[in-house]
Amino acid sequence: MTCVIPPPLASIEAFRPVFMIVMGVFLMIIAWRLAKGLDGWSARLIVAGSFLLGFGYVVVLPLYDAGILPRFSLKANTPVNSPDAYAWNMVKTFVMNFGWLLFGLGLAMHAKIFTATSPGQNLSPPTPVTNESTAQRAT
Amino acid sequence: MNLLLSALLKNNLLFDALGIIGLGLLGLAAIKLARTYKSWGGTMMALGTIALLVARLFFILNSIFLTNDLEAAMGPIGISLTIGLPPLLLSFGLAGIVWGLWGHERWVQEETR
Repeated sequence: MTCVIPPPLASIEAFRPVFMIVMGVFLMIIAWRLAKGLDGWSARLIVAGSFLLGFGYVVVLPLYDAGILPRFSLKANTPVNSPDAYAWNMVKTFVMNFGWLLFGLGLAMHAKIFTATSPGQNLSPPTPVTNESTAQRAT
Repeated sequence: MNLLLSALLKNNLLFDALGIIGLGLLGLAAIKLARTYKSWGGTMMALGTIALLVARLFFILNSIFLTNDLEAAMGPIGISLTIGLPPLLLSFGLAGIVWGLWGHERWVQEETR
């Protein structure tokens, strides 16, 4: 393997992997904290999806950017892809797409977009804290 | 190689479709959260989801439409836009989703406290 000199940190080339690592870690932490307050399948799906996405953003994509993993290309003028390139491309597409699918499904169940509301029934937001405090102040 | 496996690998259609369905569900959920709870996190998440979807659409169109003739017709500014815009959209989308999720998580914590 040829030794690739990485670009200096916080340059334009090296900023994107760092950004993706930070965002992936934040995504996992926030999803974990959000799922602590939920129960059932929505919490499991959110955590599973966010961990898949976190693996993708923290490990796989920065390794691609660093040039460690072989790139996969289907263009005609590129050399034949090695089995490693096939396998890592499979891992990348699986992780990123299944991550978004599970995360989106979990958040959709959390937001209750599958439960129908009848047309006359208006969406009742849960009473915010400010309303209660003003109501107590008024009485 | 197995024919089905190679077909799945070569055009990525199944996985791309699953990812786009997931992003669509995420966008729907974000808009519903923004409407029911009046939380800014939902709006942010929806914007991020739209950015990610636009970037994916761009990648798909890129492999179909972007030929050498089209690149020559677009000129240097167009070419640099096609190179620079997708990473920008992907970064903004990810940041928007994470930021919005953070806002929504804080809202949930405040509400259950």
